[in-house]
Amino acid sequence: MAMTLYHGEPNGPSLTVLATLFEKGVEADLKRIDLASGERHTLPFAKDTEVALSIEGEGPVLVVDGTPMTDALYVAMYLDEIGGGPSLQPPGALGHWDVLVWARFVAERLAPAASTLGTRAYLAPRLAGRSKADVDAMIARIDSVDLADRWRAVAANDYPEEQVADSHRKLKLVTERTEKALENSDWLLGDFSITDLEVYGWLASMPLLSAAAFADTPKTKAWMERVKSRPSVQKALALATIEEATQYWAPGPEHSRWG
Amino acid sequence: MKVVLYHWEPNANSGKPMLTLVEKGVEFESHYLDLLNFDQHKPEYLKINPQGTIPAMTHGDIVLTESTAIMEYVDQAFEGPRLMPDDPVERWRVRWWMKFMDQWLAPSFSMIGWSVFVGPSVRERDPEELKAAIDRIPLPERRIAWNKAIYNKFSAEEMAESQRRVALGINKLEEALSKRPWLAGNSYSLADINAFNLAYALPLSQPDLSNDEKTPHIMEWLRKVYERPATQKTWAMGKTAMVARVKILERGAN
Repeated sequence: MAMTLYHGEPNGPSLTVLATLFEKGVEADLKRIDLASGERHTLPFAKDTEVALSIEGEGPVLVVDGTPMTDALYVAMYLDEIGGGPSLQPPGALGHWDVLVWARFVAERLAPAASTLGTRAYLAPRLAGRSKADVDAMIARIDSVDLADRWRAVAANDYPEEQVADSHRKLKLVTERTEKALENSDWLLGDFSITDLEVYGWLASMPLLSAAAFADTPKTKAWMERVKSRPSVQKALALATIEEATQYWAPGPEHSRWG
Repeated sequence: MKVVLYHWEPNANSGKPMLTLVEKGVEFESHYLDLLNFDQHKPEYLKINPQGTIPAMTHGDIVLTESTAIMEYVDQAFEGPRLMPDDPVERWRVRWWMKFMDQWLAPSFSMIGWSVFVGPSVRERDPEELKAAIDRIPLPERRIAWNKAIYNKFSAEEMAESQRRVALGINKLEEALSKRPWLAGNSYSLADINAFNLAYALPLSQPDLSNDEKTPHIMEWLRKVYERPATQKTWAMGKTAMVARVKILERGAN
């Protein structure tokens, strides 16, 4: 089975897939691409439906025997199913349901909120330093109209106050939920799971960008240190080519259009 | 262990676990809640699911919410035909398409559906009673969504964006179904169940975009799903004219 992982710097969904790969000991050819420069849209399969319209936005792509796969949590689930070692999902139908319910919560609350605050802090200044013609040409390559719109908003530094406030509110919901999940256990779902890697990937830089959400969350902070110190996460972080991988952001999923 | 399903019509989110349970041959107790009468926000139901969303399922003492996650639970927890493919890449594809529908395509369909169909009928109710019903909705996000839906607070841009997504989504479904016999691969799966709940009325709701000439693969796929005994049994549980639209899929109906 030929496997290639196209990944960005080890943050967000790229971190989740890299760390899962290392946890499961799956062999893959690792190819770093610059998600924050729109390099994903130059790949030969960029216009495939499952790449172009991935809900996650600028996430990693795992190509297995010619099939490009996106959406980090589902890619992690795939790696968990085919890889060696213990399962990284809690047992049984109920355990699997738990992972899926968390994934929905992450996709609708955590990921859009973190992406808003992360791109605002780190990608917008980066785009401001490039010529307008250059940025426009990059955005013109993007097949998905709504993803291109999200890039345009970053380039224009267009972050309405209510969207920023809503992002902080969503992060507070996330830390309330993690704090509760960690009440009697070291990991979110009992034993260590892909959910820990998924949530950590999006959350890693948020204590800096949404400090209020982390006030009075000792268990969440300790859990973040625990995730970070896992050999798989350390190995993923060692692939960084910039000083602070947590400051690496590209547009993620949109906020729900229903408000 | 007893299975109880709290659901509305065999349509959208409620129809997903209904059809899955019937396909698997799982006996369940059916609790019909009238979504448009806000039964899902009444105290007796909030005791089961405090979030006030439908569907919800109980399996013994376990309470499950989120329709797509319930489908995977049902497939794994019970005997009966497998509704997830054996191939792990196809299983990934089932999940990818379900997320694409749940978070991108379905919200656009429902924005249009609410604007032209459900909103106007709900607005015929007593305004005070309606306001009180909205105030009882437990999740703030759902309260905002219902408020928008009931009072048709969608901007022209939002409606145009939903229409764009519906048109693109139809093209993408047609493309996928022209490559593979079923949405995610070679076998009937949860992705088909999910998509059928979203798309069964397409030839009526989007006749210019989806018909035998423009989307032959979608039409044939819809008819194949419609003809399955489990689909017939599930849609017979519907009580309203809305789900009776499924009859458009009778061969020779149009």
